[in-house]
This record gives sequence, structure tokens and C-alpha cells, in this order.
Amino acid sequence: MSGMTDSGAAVGVRADLSAAYGRSLAHVASPGSSLTAARRVQVADAAVAAYLDPAPPPPWVRPHGDAALDVAHRLGCHAGTVTEQWYQQVIAEGMHPLEWVEIVGVVAAAVPPVAFARAAGHPIPGLPAPVDGEPTGREAPELAPATLNWVPVAAPADEVASVVQALSALPDEWDNLWQLAAAQYMSDRQMDDPLWNRGTLSRPQMELAAGRISRIRECFF
Amino acid sequence: MLSWSSTESGLTADLSAVVSGGSDGGLPFGREIIGFVDAIGGKDDQQLSEARQRLVEAAGEAFMVDTAAVVANFEMMTRVADGTGARFPAARAAQRAQLDAQLGIGGFTSAR
Repeated sequence: MSGMTDSGAAVGVRADLSAAYGRSLAHVASPGSSLTAARRVQVADAAVAAYLDPAPPPPWVRPHGDAALDVAHRLGCHAGTVTEQWYQQVIAEGMHPLEWVEIVGVVAAAVPPVAFARAAGHPIPGLPAPVDGEPTGREAPELAPATLNWVPVAAPADEVASVVQALSALPDEWDNLWQLAAAQYMSDRQMDDPLWNRGTLSRPQMELAAGRISRIRECFF
Repeated sequence: MLSWSSTESGLTADLSAVVSGGSDGGLPFGREIIGFVDAIGGKDDQQLSEARQRLVEAAGEAFMVDTAAVVANFEMMTRVADGTGARFPAARAAQRAQLDAQLGIGGFTSAR
């Protein structure tokens, strides 16, 4: 059975994958564009707790009474039920659209290391202590409304696939998403080759696993 | 992606495995992969442990680890897509209609 080393790396796990998860968890616990590190850790905790909850409440329940944590909660356990109407409702309640994007980025950074650990039978990783400091304010030089996403994206909009531009308004969230994708799945360049693989799963086997979990999560995309 | 990569690999993948599980999808270790993914998508840790063991015994520890990583990637990407309202351009959506029907996904809340 695999375990964890003193450095936190899981035995039997590729070094690039362990490093990607380490970077992602450190990213969660660092100041973000509009959220402090402490707030980002709260958001991540809400998402991870929802992801691991064996009996989560129905999608319409907002268990935290705190918009950011409720969004993280729903993304953690019922992402396939999030609608544009609910997004617009939360924005109308006062959340800035870029805060919503940052929350999605934090959830996308925090859930994968936990999902992987649970799947592989490894100890669930904890989050690092939040780093002191003010939010960075870092965002794309120019933003634009998109027709392929609800959220604002880096200008020019809709020139790349919607999932590629999804977090582009916040470059730090975008960078973390794609460094994780490269380690867990494959890079953009590798994706163009239908025969590329790591020597374990063939490409069709990878796509079978990807398609099945997406179907279970009721993700149309 | 499954159709494309399997065709390029000289295989004929059965997309119904994505929809309902319960088969090998026409791929080596397909049944064990599906069983593992279904258990990850569920809430029963004992079932997950057993499915993990079946995959390890069939294909090896490194194979199981990389399968877990692929699943973790799509636990991430589905949340990004669903959380940002990602959708296909109109022309692409029209092209996908037959595939959507085959996969039975047109009625999902996330179908935009």
C-alpha cells in the first residue's frame, strides 16, 4: 500500500504529479487576486468538505450562509447543477464576477489533490497554512464578456475553446489549472496526438476514464 | 476524444460503456477502469477499495495511479466548465447532436 513520505509526497506517484499537487495546494494558500490566503483556504475547505461529504444536502441548500462558501460548496458536490440563473443571482447579491472566477479557480486547485488521494487510497492531503499578505489584484490586462462562458474572460473573448478561456481573467488561476492538467492528463501539445500516452494507460483508456467520470458528474461539456 | 483516439489506435471503443458502465468498452482492462471510476464517483469507500484492488491486480499499481490522476483531472475540468458556464459554439453544438443523443447527456442541467 502506498503511503506518504516525510515531505508529503505519496510513494508510487510520479514526481511530476506530486510536484503539481504541491504547487496547487500552495497556490490555494497564497493571496489571490481579490481574496486573502486565509479566505481562499476557507473556500477550499468548503469545497473539499462538500466533495467528501457522503450525504451532501440537496443542490439548492446554501449551508454556509456565506455566498463564497456556498458557491464553493455547490461546486464541490453538485457542480453539474450550477445554472446561469444561480450565477446571476449570486452576482446580484453583491459578489463581483471576478470573485466568482477566483472561487472556481480555488475549487479547481483544491479538489484534484483530494480526489486523487481518495481514489488512489492515499491519505487526504491537508492545506498549507495561509500566507500573509494582501490580495494581489492581478487580472488579465483587458477583460471582455464572453458568449461561450457566463464569466468575463481575457480579451479577446471566444477565440479559444470555452474551457480554455474559462479562468483566463485571472492568470494565476489559469496557470495553476493547466499545470495540473499537464501532470494529471496531458498538455495541449500532447493532446493533439491521439496515440500519446505515459506508458500506462493508452489514450483510449484515458478517454474512457475521462468520459465516464464526466458522465457520472453530469457534465455536458 | 474516445472515438478519435480509439480509431487512431486501431480499436473500436464502445461508447455505451461511458453511458451505463457494465462493460469493458472494447478496451483492455476496460471493465476494471469503469469499475474504478464508478467507485470514485460513488460514496462507498469499501467499494472503492475493492475496485482499486481489482484494477491493481489486473493492470498494476502505476496504471491505477495514472487512472486516478486522469479522473482527478476531470473532477477538476467538470467543475471549471460547470462553474463558468462553458458551452460549445453554435456550429459545434449542432455537430454534436447525434453524439449527445448517443451519450444521453442532452437533458443535463449543464447542457447549455
